[in-house]
Amino acid sequence: MKKYAIVLLLLIAGLTTNAQTATKEALIKVTGEVTTPLTIGNAEFQQYKQTTVTRKDRDGKDHTYSGVLVSDILAKAGVTLGPELRGENLAKYLLVEASDGYQVLFALAELDRGFTDRTIILADKVDGQPLVPADGPFRIIVQDEKKPARCIKQVTAMKVMFAK
Amino acid sequence: MVGIASCLAMTLCEWQMGKTQETQYKQSSFQRMGKICLVLCLLFAIVGLTAYKGMEQVVPMGDYVFNYPANFGNRINVPADNPTTQQGVYLGRLLFYEPKLSATNNISCGSCHQQSKAFTDGRALSIGVNNGLATRNSMSLANLLWARKFFWDGRAASLEDQVAFPLTNSHEMGQSVQVSIQKLSNTRLYPGLFKIVYGDSIITGDRIAKAIAQFERTLISANSRYDRYLRNAYKPTDDELKGMELFSRGPDPEKGIRGANCTHCHGGPKTYLELFHNNGLDSISKDEGMAAFTGLVTDRGRFKVPTLRNIALTAPYMHDGRFKTLDEVVDHYSEHIKQSVSLSAFLQGESNEVGGHSLKLLPKEKKQLIAFLNMLTDSTFITDKRFGNPHQSTKN
Repeated sequence: MKKYAIVLLLLIAGLTTNAQTATKEALIKVTGEVTTPLTIGNAEFQQYKQTTVTRKDRDGKDHTYSGVLVSDILAKAGVTLGPELRGENLAKYLLVEASDGYQVLFALAELDRGFTDRTIILADKVDGQPLVPADGPFRIIVQDEKKPARCIKQVTAMKVMFAK
Repeated sequence: MVGIASCLAMTLCEWQMGKTQETQYKQSSFQRMGKICLVLCLLFAIVGLTAYKGMEQVVPMGDYVFNYPANFGNRINVPADNPTTQQGVYLGRLLFYEPKLSATNNISCGSCHQQSKAFTDGRALSIGVNNGLATRNSMSLANLLWARKFFWDGRAASLEDQVAFPLTNSHEMGQSVQVSIQKLSNTRLYPGLFKIVYGDSIITGDRIAKAIAQFERTLISANSRYDRYLRNAYKPTDDELKGMELFSRGPDPEKGIRGANCTHCHGGPKTYLELFHNNGLDSISKDEGMAAFTGLVTDRGRFKVPTLRNIALTAPYMHDGRFKTLDEVVDHYSEHIKQSVSLSAFLQGESNEVGGHSLKLLPKEKKQLIAFLNMLTDSTFITDKRFGNPHQSTKN
């Protein structure tokens, strides 16, 4: 009986693993005006310096979001930030896209420490917990912005482009 | 054609003049006059017939200028390698309504996309060749000029890519590109038209798709009562106005604001935002939707949020045509959203009741909402002769 139970458990474990592997991991592609295109999954995400931002959500309460600075990701991709963010590079913007096709954009200057202290992060946790599936696994959080419309959920792509 | 006829007439005239000069001393003036009359009659007949045929097939030439209201915005999508021309649109319209593009010679794009139904077909699933059923509901073709992702699951990145699918799909038109090319090549109509549009008469699958896509981009619906209201040319009824308010407001029961929050996904003058959502039709969607190619569990049952333009004409509704009426659709959003891991965030916990889990619209509000949806019917769009079947007037 014990043997059967173990076999059964192993089978269930096997099936569960199969079901999990059948589902792909959500990834973010960083492309456009970059020197190194990036694909960011959870493993890559955890390698960046982690930080937090507190902002109110639709429930009107403060929540602490943790994740990484969007500017850190862009810097790793070789986007023209810091001393290079001048001249024609100020006509560049970051277009962020979500699973549902929703898109929002940020001028590069909105993301750069030399221009602003306002922090914009790519978050994977809220109040220490992973974001719920409908919001995550990655969501942009814009510190202090009155409307949450640019706190785009389920991010799948970040593309840096020149305004034409 | 008129040019060719004129040349022919002139050559014949010159020949006739030369001949009459050579032989005039041999013929009586009576005979001469008779022959000239006969030849002239024949010439008039040839020129007349040729000119008539020419008139029948005058192909408009030059860039196609899209006309649309400024509030639609200019984020239009025309690929660089397929600029829209009047001749391309002319050819595309003929191909759109061309049953020879189906294996059974009786189905065209226009069979499942009928103008009178805002380019849908009134069926849950369209019937293709050999009575095969399409996998999903036939989508309305309106204002595609602004679309960037196509099909219910958004898998095609251009209208040109989209067009190729139903032509060859075994449940739709079911004919290989090679056979379509052969059939069109054997007509009197098409090789000449392809030459006018593409510079030579070679017919390819790519060229067929490009021309159809050009025609489809011209299907602009911008003259509904709602459009006229937006340009201050129509005064809505009380129900239409109330419906519009509900349509555009999110519910906030604590502040006493009632709403249906439709504009979250169907916002703007086009009532189209190019979004893809799981709208809570099923706990576990039978149709994977976008998950079929993204592999993401959160994309299961995620489909395109279609335009609401002419929505009263495009029943049945949803990707599988499960709802026969707008009442059923509104009831779904009001009371029957199914919870799942893929359910889009904005549909979770939106309610007109404090602590409510569903929208809970009142019967009167549902009627008002539907009154507004009926404002989106564009009667000029479904009767515009430029969009109708051209084959009644063209010999093939």
